[in-house]
Amino acid sequence: MTVRFSYGRIAHVLLWGGLAVASLGMSIPKIYSGVTQYPLRPTGPLHTCDSYLKFATGASGASKDLISIFQSMTASKRIIIFTRKDDAFSSGLGMTTAYLASPHLVRLFEISGTHPDNELSKMNPDELAAVVFCRVNRPNWLPAGKVIGSGLEVVSTSEKKVRR
Amino acid sequence: MSALALLGAFGTLLGAGYGFLTLLARKETQLSLTEQIAFSWLLGTGAVSLLLWIFGLFVHGILLPGLVSIICLSLGLVGWRRMVPRPLRRKPNLFEIFLGIIVFLEIAIVFYLSFVHTLGWDGLLNWEIKAHYAFANGGVIPATYFSDSGRAFSHPEYPLAIPFTELWLYLWLGEADQFWAKTIFPIFYVIGTFLVVALGKRFTGKTWNGLLMAAFLFFVPQITVEVGSAIAGYADFPLSIFYLATIGCLFCATEPKNDAFFRLYAACLALLPWVKRDGLILWIVAAACGVFVILRTKRSSRHFLALFPGLLIICGWRLYLSAMHAPQAAADFLPMNLETFSSHLDRILPLFSALLAEFHNLPIWSLFWFVVAVGVAYLLGQMRNPGTPVLLNALFVPIVLYLLIYVFSSWPNYLEHVGLSISRLLLHVAPVGFLIILLAVSRRRVKSPAPVHERGVTCTMAVSERTPVVELA
Repeated sequence: MTVRFSYGRIAHVLLWGGLAVASLGMSIPKIYSGVTQYPLRPTGPLHTCDSYLKFATGASGASKDLISIFQSMTASKRIIIFTRKDDAFSSGLGMTTAYLASPHLVRLFEISGTHPDNELSKMNPDELAAVVFCRVNRPNWLPAGKVIGSGLEVVSTSEKKVRR
Repeated sequence: MSALALLGAFGTLLGAGYGFLTLLARKETQLSLTEQIAFSWLLGTGAVSLLLWIFGLFVHGILLPGLVSIICLSLGLVGWRRMVPRPLRRKPNLFEIFLGIIVFLEIAIVFYLSFVHTLGWDGLLNWEIKAHYAFANGGVIPATYFSDSGRAFSHPEYPLAIPFTELWLYLWLGEADQFWAKTIFPIFYVIGTFLVVALGKRFTGKTWNGLLMAAFLFFVPQITVEVGSAIAGYADFPLSIFYLATIGCLFCATEPKNDAFFRLYAACLALLPWVKRDGLILWIVAAACGVFVILRTKRSSRHFLALFPGLLIICGWRLYLSAMHAPQAAADFLPMNLETFSSHLDRILPLFSALLAEFHNLPIWSLFWFVVAVGVAYLLGQMRNPGTPVLLNALFVPIVLYLLIYVFSSWPNYLEHVGLSISRLLLHVAPVGFLIILLAVSRRRVKSPAPVHERGVTCTMAVSERTPVVELA
């Protein structure tokens, strides 16, 4: 087999070879840090939710706790979740809680500040299963609920009569 | 137990896909093992998710996975009876073996990365949530989910190819498991590398070209480690692989009488809007490219029927959402009409600036877009080959359309909206960029759409080699 060299072919090889080397030089540090940045996490059916909740509240394995709290409530009633505007942690916590609250219908309230008194006072407690506070303060007039880690509190307003 | 269940889930899925592949490719085309696996996976995920959705309208509970499994096994049987012929073996050279090992190691790293990371934000709250709720409700998404305004953040209107592929795993596993759900995404990466290798062989006649490109796929951070990459559980990377298959098949179908690839193109095209809502834009572009190829290669008008399955899926999903009272308009965008467009025209220049800034965002893209630009410059002299305008349009038109959509952004700071999502939108077309680089690197010059015979290799025949080591082309 003979290989014919020409200036065009040499320029072609040099161009693409140079681009390949430059690309690799640019990418490898980024890929390397991406590969080595995180250790292996524990596995489990809810491992993503658990990771999010641990990140936001510091509590481990909180997904199961939340699910069992929500399961103890009347499924036909809605769950109200309060989150703070301009607080990504609070918003993320609220959405993760909404995910876990199925099959309950949910309603997310994004409030300015940390006191949801106004919004809560307008609600009919008979229509609610629970109120969840995500990095939002529970009003003093509401009884204390189940606190998960720091910044997440679930106040049940309608628990099932019979509990296992 | 989990391993056996996963094997069952993936086996039935691949069986269904292979059955469809044999029906589409028939015995007239040789497909390499990598192509058979790649198309079986893509068609299998599409078929299983569609079957779960359609049958879920009528049955639920144990009957649903039972019915779908029977159909998968029947299709697998059809595939076994009609097996697509494979090309002859050739011993790989040392360079190909070396590249094959590199690609294999990269795939192993992507699997590792996928298990190290959790599902990304959208991966959990836009996609997996649907699989989780459907699993808890006997395989059917509860009607209340669609109308529950409290869960509008999870975009109930998004299509179901990815969530229902996850659901298929859950149904086999017997529980909703976010860890195992992630396995499907590195598999899409494997399929992407297989397609790049196989298309590289078909486009250029050389196995090493495809292997080299597949090896470089790993070195684009947006594909491997960034937000929305192949490891995050987002639909963007799978969509980009479906788009790669669609455009790759269409390129091969530019050769006369290559109807098998045209049928494969039609099947992959139909699944684009089923993977992600943005897939509708890719569908429009790929369908327009298909119309161009039909006209340019003087195919009969019955080939326009290729657009029909996609239209059916788009309309079917719209009807379903209407029936479920799901919100269909995205809250992130203003009403799309001429009035809004003309009143926001001043956004166009800043949007193009943002796009240019994204192209040279080196931590995310490395030199990828610069290399693509060089590749495009190479191809500009080959516009007479109908495949070249197909590739270039498939790359550029979606980018322009995506950008124009931000003209309708309802965000107070629309450039922030762009910044959050543009890299993921560019990811959709990035694998097509690899096809362009592939052609440019190989300096393949096609003077007419007639089959190219290079050491007996054409897009039509794909006389490629199979060996235990480089079974990749």
